[in-house]
Amino acid sequence: MRRPKILGLVLRNFAKRPATIQYPRVKTPIEEDSRGVQYADLTKCTGCTLCALECPADAITMTPIPQGYEVTAKNPRRIYPLIDYSKCVFCYRCVKVCPVNAYIVTSKYDIAGPTRISSEEYSLSTLKKVS
Amino acid sequence: MVCNMGVTKVIEVPIITAEIPIGPQHPALHEPLLLKVYADGEEIIRAEVNTGYNHRGVEKLCEKNTFYRDLFIVGRVCGICNTVHANCYVRALEYLLDARPNNRARYLRVLAMELERIHSHMLINAVMAEIVGFDTLFMQIMLDRERVMKAKEILTGNRVLADYMIVGGVRRDIDEVKRARIRDLLLKLKPRVEYYKKVFMEDETIVKRLVDIGVLKPVDVTSHSLVGPVARGSGVKIDSRASDRYDAYDEIPFNVVTRTEGDSWARMMVRWDETLEAINMCLYILEKLPFDGNPVPDEKRLPRVIPHGESYARVEAQRGELTYYVMSDGRSPSPYRVKIRTPSFNNVINSAFMYVGLSIADVPVALTSLDPCISCMERVTVIDLEKNTRYKLTLRELAGGKV
Amino acid sequence: MVISVSSKLDFFSKYAVKTEIIKPKRIAFTVKSEDVRHIFEELIKQHGHGAFYVSTIAGTDLPGENKIRLDYYVVLLPEEETIVIRTYLDRSNPLVDSLVDIIPGVLSGECETHDLLGVFFKGNPFLKRGFFVALDVAEKGIYPLRKDSGV
Ligand code: SF4
Ligand code: SF4
Repeated sequence: MRRPKILGLVLRNFAKRPATIQYPRVKTPIEEDSRGVQYADLTKCTGCTLCALECPADAITMTPIPQGYEVTAKNPRRIYPLIDYSKCVFCYRCVKVCPVNAYIVTSKYDIAGPTRISSEEYSLSTLKKVS
Repeated sequence: MVCNMGVTKVIEVPIITAEIPIGPQHPALHEPLLLKVYADGEEIIRAEVNTGYNHRGVEKLCEKNTFYRDLFIVGRVCGICNTVHANCYVRALEYLLDARPNNRARYLRVLAMELERIHSHMLINAVMAEIVGFDTLFMQIMLDRERVMKAKEILTGNRVLADYMIVGGVRRDIDEVKRARIRDLLLKLKPRVEYYKKVFMEDETIVKRLVDIGVLKPVDVTSHSLVGPVARGSGVKIDSRASDRYDAYDEIPFNVVTRTEGDSWARMMVRWDETLEAINMCLYILEKLPFDGNPVPDEKRLPRVIPHGESYARVEAQRGELTYYVMSDGRSPSPYRVKIRTPSFNNVINSAFMYVGLSIADVPVALTSLDPCISCMERVTVIDLEKNTRYKLTLRELAGGKV
Repeated sequence: MVISVSSKLDFFSKYAVKTEIIKPKRIAFTVKSEDVRHIFEELIKQHGHGAFYVSTIAGTDLPGENKIRLDYYVVLLPEEETIVIRTYLDRSNPLVDSLVDIIPGVLSGECETHDLLGVFFKGNPFLKRGFFVALDVAEKGIYPLRKDSGV
């Protein structure tokens, strides 16, 4: 029987470092502009609900902004898009359709965890608190 | 028996036809499909394909959502071939709108689709190596496949689900840096693919397991509506890239790969040759990418109403001809009817005749050579009600002959 | 190329009730539902099995006209030109001759159209509910792709 053709490759691989990435101890290298967590900047958002209508996964619900935040005059209804990331498919349709380009995009992807995570904290952090 | 030494009589047990269910769940192929084969000893005498484990009702879902929301829904019919699904749907809409994206967008679309073809073909070849018990090769191919996944991430913003197509263009442009990086990755990948092709051609294990398994005659291919590499492996030249010349395929040079052997090995070799062909196409695109304006249309200004009419788009997905039929009534914001016919739908269901005469251990090889993609084929979630108490084997155990 | 295709389809004119274009440039011949089988028989007789394949069978429910429309998308080889053979069936009794014995490749399409839309293909022994549709839906006798199915 002939020697398997792949033997040289295998031997060379023995000398190499492992190719496996020890996630989550080591972070996977990803692109700066890959599609990760996105949230609305509430200083820009007008509460027009367009993103919620266009979202193919129905991940966005328009939610009242809680008391104690300074809301701009552009948002008379005091509502903002709350994204449920466990439903979101990161298609960025919401980012692209927003008429005032209110969305802030990041490349954060490691959002899996024991609790449901939504954009509440991110979005509200863009607003100033009323003292 | 009383006299145990010097047996004079041999009782031959009549071989009963054994029914062997393969699937719907087996760890090797990750695809929910029940292939029931009836064996007489080792030889398959009949095969049945049972479906219904994964149908998600995408066609109905499309009727209930708006045209633009559907764009992202059809992209999720199948993960491995999401850009081709989206492209086919987008082009069906563009035919209705009589719109044509600019050249740069058309080139970028082809780039995304060909990158996807490279990674899909590498995946199924790796799976084939695994099925025949050659795990080292599987690992190696998957490791090199990471390069093209990275290229896809650079281009579209995600490794798998690209969401790259939009009516009138693509959703992001590339700059010089990205262009150079993708080029670099592809240039590194090319010798690797050439090497793997050589391994598939010469390695004894692979050749022994694949050659002359599941031979399809050209006339069977057309009468059973088989498409894609399965057809081309039997010498039937069906390639909608060459015939419909959609997007930039009218300007980018490429060869349609065909082979005449018609067996599992020929199908895998067609895939390797197409991978090389696709790498060359990608390099050509990166070199010749035209600059005729912005390929990214403003998604806020897309036409809200799709005119009344019907259109039928074909695309050459990795697994074969994929077709979308879209009908709009011109009034409502959602399509009246979307009909998706995926390549695996034809290739897997109609190919039951191919298994007859094979031995049991060859069935997984023949099935894998079709590149089955069940989520493509079926589109509805069903809870498996079948209480099958007979013993089940994984494809790999089966391929190892442990029956 | 155009000439060779049209000459292949000469005999269509005696069946076609109407021709129309489905974008982009796919010719659709509307025929009577009784003729569908004859057309395919004649296509096989004149050009053989290697000259075409049935790519898709698409059914559409048209409750407004009380019809179910059935489109056979046929790809002619080697030019790979797609033509459409279109027929209308009565919605209350959608019945058409099966092609599965002469063209085995329509099996998947016929089974799917039966399961999702309730079209009966006369002479196809493989038709069954639950081919794709979930059994709990299929047992209620619902055909999900009908517009009034309520699914
Ligand atoms: S990225 Fe897509 S799925 Fe996620 S919230 Fe935005 S529109 Fe919805
Ligand atoms: S589309 Fe933009 S402005 Fe409108 S609700 Fe969404 S984030 Fe706010």
